[in-house]
Amino acid sequence: MPPFSFKFFLSVFGQVLPYLPVTLLIIILSIIFSSLLGVIIARGQLGSSKVWRTVSQGYVFVLRSTPPIVLLFLVFYGLPKLLLLSLNININDWQKSIFVIIALSLLFASNLAEVFKSAYLSVNTGQREAALMVGLSEWQAFYRITLPQAIVVALPNFANTVAALIKDAALAYVIGLLDMMGAGDNLISRNFGHHSLETYLALAIIYWILFVIIEQSAKYLEKYLGKGHTIASKSAEVVA
Amino acid sequence: MLKVRNFKKKYHQHEVLKGIDIEVNQGDVVALLGPSGSGKTTFLRGLAFLTPGDSGVITFDDQKINIESATPSDIKKLRRKMGFVFQNFNLFANKTAIQNVEEGLIIGHKVSKPEAKRRATEALKKVGLQQYANHYPSQLSGGQAQRVGIARAAALNPEIILLDEPTSALDPELVADVLQVIKHLADEGKTMIVVTHEMAFARDVADKVVFMDKGLVVEQNEPTSFFDDPKSPRLKEFLSRISAVNVADNSFEYEKAVQK
Repeated sequence: MPPFSFKFFLSVFGQVLPYLPVTLLIIILSIIFSSLLGVIIARGQLGSSKVWRTVSQGYVFVLRSTPPIVLLFLVFYGLPKLLLLSLNININDWQKSIFVIIALSLLFASNLAEVFKSAYLSVNTGQREAALMVGLSEWQAFYRITLPQAIVVALPNFANTVAALIKDAALAYVIGLLDMMGAGDNLISRNFGHHSLETYLALAIIYWILFVIIEQSAKYLEKYLGKGHTIASKSAEVVA
Repeated sequence: MLKVRNFKKKYHQHEVLKGIDIEVNQGDVVALLGPSGSGKTTFLRGLAFLTPGDSGVITFDDQKINIESATPSDIKKLRRKMGFVFQNFNLFANKTAIQNVEEGLIIGHKVSKPEAKRRATEALKKVGLQQYANHYPSQLSGGQAQRVGIARAAALNPEIILLDEPTSALDPELVADVLQVIKHLADEGKTMIVVTHEMAFARDVADKVVFMDKGLVVEQNEPTSFFDDPKSPRLKEFLSRISAVNVADNSFEYEKAVQK
């Protein structure tokens, strides 16, 4: 094994960063789709319909106990077969990134459903009742009063879930997706297995920077959205 | 103005309200008393359909609602005539004091923004909190929060205000200010139903006192006869059980408020 080459280490950034947009696109689309699905599942769990409650609870149980890499393979190999056999739709020529997005969305919808559910439940029902009594409709009471408070509660857990999603998205290269990790993996292969330390170190640094950005923006959002709550904890003593 | 007939409510097998009849006239302040578990709060929340009753008839002016067949639009129409003050305030935690008052005016009642601001400011002034307009609920003391709660209900100018134990969650020294605000509303001729444990307040402010026990109205009368000449054994027992100390204490808090 050749010694650690700082020059190679620097060159890795130039090799893998062009694929950062692929990684980011997969992450962003997965966050969007898993959030939408998560809302539907949380709604099912909180709703009054017994069928929906059972279905959504079952979904959360199954998906939460599936390892990401297992689900990734199941979706990649299983979904085309399933669709071909049941609906006669051929999706074998779909891009690999689509399978990754589907797998990550399915997986993180179950985590996010739990985040949304507990955030919603943390807002006292009295808030809704008070809104109804000043003439708001159920929907207005939800999006003007309950939702803004639930978002503030959900934000730290949401950021944690997104962090987990980003890390799991790094697994996508196992089905041959050419994202940032895939580019790094190719680079190592091209060097016959040499310089893997430099490559992975460079990748780790890129992920660290990614995380700092996410952490800081979550903190900023929390502060910005949670006016009523955060200011209170600081200046309550002054007023009272 | 408001007439309720045979209001019933069951939780599982337990019958909480066994048929309440009550009548409230324009300008009346009705104090609803009774031991805990007698169903006072359940009844008040039932009137506003927050926890709907099982059966009975509510007549409000020309609107007659059969509880069993009430539609969402019936309920909405009824609620527009009502203001509700909650035991634990339920101020919108994500809005400032003045936004709490404006919310119902702008969104619920389609009042223009400048007009809503004017009315909300006036409502806060009335409860003595205009300088707290831009404070969030978490920055207010319990007494201040409840006064904002009352301002929020009163600003919509409802025909009746329902107050559910408005001072029960407050520290004793904050009770007086809130009672004072309620008394002001009474003096203005507001119609109100107040569920309360403040005997001195009920005696002084109410036009009618209703005593509930075990899901039934046991006795109702104008305050002087109610307290000085209780008829039913159950009410006699209730009044004697509220210890002399307690009454003296409440009176003290209340008189302090009146003297201000």
